[in-house]
Amino acid sequence: MKAFEYATALSTDSAQQLAADNGQYLAGGNDLLGVLKEYLIEAKILVNIKSLLGLNKIETGKTWKIGALVTVAEIENSAEIKKTFPGLQAAASEVGSQQIRNVATVGGNLSQHSRCWYFRHRDTVCLKKHGDLCYARNGENRYHSLFTGKSNTCISPVVSNLATAFASLDTTVVVLREGKETPMTITELYQTAFDDPYAHNSLKPGDLILRVEIPTTHTSSSYMQVSDKHAFDWALVSCAAAGKVSGGKISHPRVALGCISPMPHQVKAANDFLDGKTLDEATVSQVADMILQGAEILEHNGYKVPIAHALIRRTLLALKG
Amino acid sequence: MAGWPAETKYIGHSTLRIDAPEKVSGRARYSSDIQAEGWLYGMILRSKWPAAKITGINLDKALAVPGIKAAITVQDGERTVRFYGEELAAVAGMTKQACLDALRAIVVQAKALDFVVNETEGLKSDSAQVWEGSPNASNPKPREKGDVDTAFNECAAVSEGFYHTPVQIHNPMETAGSTISWTDDGITAWVSTQGIFGSRDALASSLKVDQDKVRVLCDFMGGGFGAKFPPILESVLAARLSKETNAPVRLMLTRFDQALAVGNRPSSFQKIKIGATADGMLHAFDLDNYGTGGIGSGGSSAGGGSGVMLAMPYIYEVPNSRVKQAVVNINAGAARAFRAPGHPPTSFGMESAMDDLAAKLGIDPVEFRLKNDPGEIRQREYKAGIERFGWKDKYKKPGSSPGVVKTGIGCAGAAWPAGGANRRTQGEAQINPDGTIEVRLGVQDLGTGTKTVIAVVAAEILGLKPEQISVKVGDTRFPPGPGSGGSTTCASISPTVYDVCSKALEQIQTQTGVADARGANWFDACKKLGVNPLVVHGQWQAGMSSDHACGVQFAEVDVDTETGLVTVKKICCVQDCGLIVNKNTLESQINGGIIMGMGYALYEERVMDDLSGVVLNPNFETYKVSGIADVPDIDILLINMPERGVIGIGEPATVPTAAAIGNAVFNAIGVRVGSLPITPAKVLAALGKVPAPTKS
Repeated sequence: MKAFEYATALSTDSAQQLAADNGQYLAGGNDLLGVLKEYLIEAKILVNIKSLLGLNKIETGKTWKIGALVTVAEIENSAEIKKTFPGLQAAASEVGSQQIRNVATVGGNLSQHSRCWYFRHRDTVCLKKHGDLCYARNGENRYHSLFTGKSNTCISPVVSNLATAFASLDTTVVVLREGKETPMTITELYQTAFDDPYAHNSLKPGDLILRVEIPTTHTSSSYMQVSDKHAFDWALVSCAAAGKVSGGKISHPRVALGCISPMPHQVKAANDFLDGKTLDEATVSQVADMILQGAEILEHNGYKVPIAHALIRRTLLALKG
Repeated sequence: MAGWPAETKYIGHSTLRIDAPEKVSGRARYSSDIQAEGWLYGMILRSKWPAAKITGINLDKALAVPGIKAAITVQDGERTVRFYGEELAAVAGMTKQACLDALRAIVVQAKALDFVVNETEGLKSDSAQVWEGSPNASNPKPREKGDVDTAFNECAAVSEGFYHTPVQIHNPMETAGSTISWTDDGITAWVSTQGIFGSRDALASSLKVDQDKVRVLCDFMGGGFGAKFPPILESVLAARLSKETNAPVRLMLTRFDQALAVGNRPSSFQKIKIGATADGMLHAFDLDNYGTGGIGSGGSSAGGGSGVMLAMPYIYEVPNSRVKQAVVNINAGAARAFRAPGHPPTSFGMESAMDDLAAKLGIDPVEFRLKNDPGEIRQREYKAGIERFGWKDKYKKPGSSPGVVKTGIGCAGAAWPAGGANRRTQGEAQINPDGTIEVRLGVQDLGTGTKTVIAVVAAEILGLKPEQISVKVGDTRFPPGPGSGGSTTCASISPTVYDVCSKALEQIQTQTGVADARGANWFDACKKLGVNPLVVHGQWQAGMSSDHACGVQFAEVDVDTETGLVTVKKICCVQDCGLIVNKNTLESQINGGIIMGMGYALYEERVMDDLSGVVLNPNFETYKVSGIADVPDIDILLINMPERGVIGIGEPATVPTAAAIGNAVFNAIGVRVGSLPITPAKVLAALGKVPAPTKS
């Protein structure tokens, strides 16, 4: 990696000031050290934010607030989260390995860079790295997206497990942008990656994720993923479902999928269709069809369609408890 | 077998690894842990081109990087590189970061050439030539026995299938490399190697130094699996850097490097047609296969014994058979010997074809093998395994398992016709007057338990405990031992240690007049030696070891037919290895073989990018190896055959695993996934559930 300065921020404001000139925030470091070591990004300064007060807390209530520095392991191991947001707990438990979860943070998991093997490779200059073309589109695209923006030719998908779960829970991400707390939906957090091939998410230089806010509207939630391996492997497809289930009927249903689009894939029409319906095989199968309609299948990623279909059905049926 | 005692206290029982405390406490020093006084980091610059004419390499800017002490080119003058990752230059510096900076500062002038990194493309006559003027594909004459075409007409059932195995990358826990100190006195090299003497001789000849001026050390090693035999370009570079800097240089490859240039198992693309007569006897076999060992046997980092050609029809005798094979060169790192070279792909193709044919015949796959497998030992092993695994209760017709998650079972057999021993193995023991004893062999312990085997045999002969034997290996100043390949180490060293210790016992008894110096009398006898320790030399003895291990494995899997995920629930392994020397390190070897075989079956695959020519997955993120959560229940039934003497086990245990798992998947879902690794994507494709690409 290239040489950089290092500073520890004592307040969010000073963190933002320190990072203003080509800085990067350092928390768990899992993603950041990887991209720095492979010379995929350069930073003039790393701003250590691990000691920022208040960002490592979980506050319960009608709306839960989870600080950006809360670790993935804390979410995985929290009995209260498991009770209130089982989908989120399950998503956290599938992140990386135990060692990674111990240091990985909510903020870092949400803002990680693309895992596309062309982007990550030190000797390919792909579109995301401002090269001429997306190698994956006509190349090795088994891990790539089924849905991409119209003008976008980068097909690397969002791989954050937490983003998938948060999306299903109507979570708001609170970002400190130019000194102001700016609320964003999960869709808003990734919309730019959907539209702009060079972007990994919608965060601008200097933006700092402070916390996420999760309403307790969805009393049931679930998350499942399928990977090639049984642990310590990225999801091929991940899926989270949430809603309020009463008498076998679901209200406020939400389904979100990861790893098939540059942003968590959600279809409002499918949620609307499901609202008020009984969770049975035929209905959830119809919902899955609606969600996956219009998938653009490449040479090697068509298998994601049946996996996604199965996971949509399974996560929804799991909401019945 | 002659020599080996019938009643034993340690041989055939379980002794914990004698070096376990050193290993688990971190005191064990591997080549990558050596911190010789004043040592420097070494690193290699590799080609970014899959094929190019290199016209110039300028090291000036690298030498100007603070902390850099030397920079050298691998080869002077113009040259052609033939794969992404081929070695171009090397640097030595005070820190890792200085070396990384220096590698980026080297200016390479190159003219990119056309390349091919895909076997099927390489097969075409108009593909870019890896070696100028010679076609990429070899075209050897088919080998035919009997009259195959007529024989197929005589068959009651014929099965045709296509079976593919990918290139598997060598990924031992410890990457390849060494620490080397070259001074006026000579070269001391701590090499992670499977052959200390081979490494010594290769270094001496490459560097034009007398063999007696090169000392190779390898006290601990983190695995080799066939990749760590000479030639050892990275060691030669480390030595040159050491000479240039007058300092020891540690040059261990990174995991990225490991994926490119230090060996892999060749791929195979096997088109098999196989037929049997109505009585279930194999009658006709036809194979058309090609595969790649990368650039082939040329190039400075290629190793021998890579073996693209498959010994078909493997363990079966088919009266009419035709085998046509081609080796295809592509612009990728060369193959090297890889744990049972040739066998896992051969086993996968043949055993898959066997089950596909058994299904057509409507015969139970084990019954079909008992009819057709001429191996007496495997016959015995299948029969024992049927009971142990509960085959008859578990077996259902292919595809008849109900529900979304289907269960299936499968089996496959192994042969390891290599094996045997290095008959020139020597060893010595030094017995001190205080009763301590040091047994010294110029062999290396790859992590397999070689040191423990030496202690077990010595303790048995001398009536001592294994922990009383001080075992020294991994030094070319010791009597020469075998290179560790072909599963020959155990069969080479066990008779040698037997000879050394038997002679030592005889001599101490003669010298001291103690009639039986073993066990309780040992210390009294040693005291009588006086001041001088006794040093006794011995060598390998005939009649105490043999070769040709077999082995069969049974697999039980779950297959989720909606997600394609395969979960291996159980592997039952029935394995012979002649006389069992140490049971628990033997079982560890089998466990390791099975886990590696499972990685081959389900996860491992080198992915080349056609457009850029790079290895796309040079890391454990996307080059997937079995993890602990993937490992099934492994049940090992050992067949002890002391009458055969000692036989090595490192290789046969990994041979049939992938085939058994593949057959279990077939049994579960009723359709063949003929391509390894068996990923969710391939299972779903075989089930016809994958939609076609969208037309753009």
